[in-house]
Amino acid sequence: MNRSLIISSVLHLSLIFITAMSLPFLAKKPLDIPPIVSVELIQIAEKTNIPFAPKAKKTIEEVKEKEKKLVSEQAPPKKVEKTKTKTVVTPDQNNKKIENQKPDAIPLPEKTIKKIKTKEEKKQNPDKIDTKVKQVSEFEKKDLIDELEIAALIDKKKKDSAKVVKKNNDVTQDQDRSVENTGLTLSEEDALKAQIFGCWSVPLGLPYNEDLLVRIKLKLKPDGSVIKTEILDHARMNKPGQGFYKVLAESALRALKLCQPLRVPSTGYERWKELQFNFDAKEMLGG
Amino acid sequence: MIRKFIILLLIVFPFKAFALIEVDITRGNLNPLPIAVSPLAIDEKSKKNFENILQIEDIGYEISNIVENNLKTSGLFNPLNKDAFLQAPDIANLKPRFEDWNLIKAQALITGKVNLVDEKLRVEFRLWDVLAAKEMMALAFTTVPNNWRRVGHIISDKVYERLTGEKGYFDTRIIYVAEEGPKTQRIKKLAIMDQDGFNNKFLTLGNELVLTPRFNPTSQMVTYLSYFKNMPRVYLLDIETGTQEVVGDFPGMTFAPRFSPDGKKIIMSFAKDGKSDIFTMDLENRIVERITNHPSIDTSPSYSPDGKYITFNSDRSGYQQIYIMNSDGTDIKRISFGNGLYGTPVWSPRGDLIAFTKLHKGKFYIGVMRTDGSGERLLTENYYQEAPSWSPNGRVLIFYRETKTNAKGEGFSAKLWSIDLTGYNERKIKTPTDASDPSWSSLLSN
Amino acid sequence: MRLNKIFKNTLLILTACLVLSACATKQQEVSTEIKGQMQGDVYTGTDTVKYLADGVPDRVFFATNESILTTASRETLRAQAAWLRQNSSINVVLEGHADERGTREYNLALGERRANAAKDYLMTYGISSDRITVLSYGKERPVDSGSNPLAWSKNRRSVTVKAN
Repeated sequence: MNRSLIISSVLHLSLIFITAMSLPFLAKKPLDIPPIVSVELIQIAEKTNIPFAPKAKKTIEEVKEKEKKLVSEQAPPKKVEKTKTKTVVTPDQNNKKIENQKPDAIPLPEKTIKKIKTKEEKKQNPDKIDTKVKQVSEFEKKDLIDELEIAALIDKKKKDSAKVVKKNNDVTQDQDRSVENTGLTLSEEDALKAQIFGCWSVPLGLPYNEDLLVRIKLKLKPDGSVIKTEILDHARMNKPGQGFYKVLAESALRALKLCQPLRVPSTGYERWKELQFNFDAKEMLGG
Repeated sequence: MIRKFIILLLIVFPFKAFALIEVDITRGNLNPLPIAVSPLAIDEKSKKNFENILQIEDIGYEISNIVENNLKTSGLFNPLNKDAFLQAPDIANLKPRFEDWNLIKAQALITGKVNLVDEKLRVEFRLWDVLAAKEMMALAFTTVPNNWRRVGHIISDKVYERLTGEKGYFDTRIIYVAEEGPKTQRIKKLAIMDQDGFNNKFLTLGNELVLTPRFNPTSQMVTYLSYFKNMPRVYLLDIETGTQEVVGDFPGMTFAPRFSPDGKKIIMSFAKDGKSDIFTMDLENRIVERITNHPSIDTSPSYSPDGKYITFNSDRSGYQQIYIMNSDGTDIKRISFGNGLYGTPVWSPRGDLIAFTKLHKGKFYIGVMRTDGSGERLLTENYYQEAPSWSPNGRVLIFYRETKTNAKGEGFSAKLWSIDLTGYNERKIKTPTDASDPSWSSLLSN
Repeated sequence: MRLNKIFKNTLLILTACLVLSACATKQQEVSTEIKGQMQGDVYTGTDTVKYLADGVPDRVFFATNESILTTASRETLRAQAAWLRQNSSINVVLEGHADERGTREYNLALGERRANAAKDYLMTYGISSDRITVLSYGKERPVDSGSNPLAWSKNRRSVTVKAN
């Protein structure tokens, strides 16, 4: 009797001990959850673009390189003018600095970017540019582009030397894209997304093993109301066996209508007067 | 997932955006769609005539009520309160004032009218997209007045299909076992009713025990288990003519019958000498074929909609689990591996899921899994429930549940319930008596 | 070195077993105390039992999901076999039943399996299979309508019924 009591209490004590030992582990676990990426991203201010994640950056660089080739080969003289009128240009003094920087450097803010006080400059609020991307392109440029060739294309009226213009050109071309890339900052995009999320009633009956992406192009007024909507894969609407696509597209259109006026940024109408929304119901229905 | 998505977004974004800013919308809400069901307009003369024929005061109103109720029970629609409507129903032929409907936040609107034409009921209806201010659909039906409830169901199906992208399930019927009496001497009858519980009809008298009725694909025939003369055998019943016949000539109990998807065969279990195996019988040439042969219990067979596979319940592993095999009985694979026992597998009419009953730690669950056994989702938990049957569009499951009527666990009541695949929209289906073993018909009209 | 490891492992497993069993046995003690009429989860009482003749109980009971005959069941069936041999004009129906804690179709098969277990035993004691019919009711005809372990144990049964 006594013996079994002792055994029992010893075993129970050991059980309690084991439990107690394992408790701190349990308590710790929640802390191990990896930090959510979005926190990192949202920190980056209202206007700037976000630094790319290292992996993504690499890929981007690779793709950029390819694109660059294409652009440089094809770039007609007209483009130079266009870019000039369009946006930010970095002056030559800064270019050297940029060149000296290591490609891995974290994008620097405004310091390296200056407005050129040329007459062509029209934009008062140029978007800030991710310098890193710029650098990369600058880098490549050297190998890829024959300076003279480009110089020959440049408008003679310019006070700047051919070389400088060429460099500007490089930069602006890149910036050109960057500006478009920048598009909406994450916070702006988030606001817009959150709004649409609330408006979009996903048709629950859609076959979730099908392609459920509807792309809709919008023209917007400055106040965010929709002028025009266009379904990009319109042909698919009437394909046999794709009846669900029409339903999906209609639900997306309803969402946009319901959400009017869209929560667009207060500035930079030119950037977002046209927007493309990609509605994808897959995650909602399949996951 | 989100992280991956953002990285992907970052990769794709800059280059796709060459022309245009793109915003990816990958989430939406699953809130029911606000819809206004305007009562169908009816002229005074027709109204009076219908009142004489059907003893219904306002058939236009009643039909719209059926539609409203159907859409509501689907869980995908939120029919708005008619009191809030600004436009009267007599606008059937006109374009609605969309601003008015917008104001009460309707996203879709149903209007229509009812006439009596040549002794027949004629119903016209239109579905409007309020936000886009355009007509989405316009249809007219003519039928005998007695079919007025079906008209309501057909309209519901059309609207459902137009707005959700899949066929509806409202113009359907449920066959089930009506139950009465104490548990130890339960009287069971076959009964049939509309999906919404109306037009209930008993098909047998209750003299012998009947179980597990199941429709054939055309919903004209039912196969079920009857204890006629204390010999439990699978029977076939023609609903229209009421003729019954025993299926096959087996020297023992046959049970758990179901039709093949083409309706030409009945698949069932045959129990002999303590082992139950699966057999099929061809209804045309009466040829019986053995599908499984194992000392264990093999039961509850159900075909895949293409007829190529069979899912069934077996305890060959020691406990009740779900298996699939080719329709000739080869290549048997176990697919359920979770904790607990699994029974009553039923293949979805869409082909992608298998519904089942699970028993675990004294609880019964209705759940679904993919056909390879992955992605198990338990939709509802209760003290006792089983026997799911799919709606013809594979979105809703009907099953039965027994609940205790007092705390001692003495009294009990068995009722039919439905739940959709989201697991949220659970509803009790009203039946005149206690009910069990429901089976959902296919769509009666297309 | 290796032996040491094995020794260590065994010790570990042993302690684990002991720790666990300390809890398990205690629970079981409590539950059997409450029931009294059950051994394991097989019914051992006589509440529902009828008699085919003096000293010949009509039914045997089973554990959950099982169709194995217990010692007591075999004794009952031997008595039934003896009685059947004496009354060679009597045919019987063995009605197999299951409790409500299972799916309907599986329980039909389970009832059949239980009745057949009884039938096989009777046959080994010389009763011809011609005299025995097997009938499964699954969970359709419980003898106790309660929803508790004791009621379920009464319902998991095979009942021998005179057919003529």
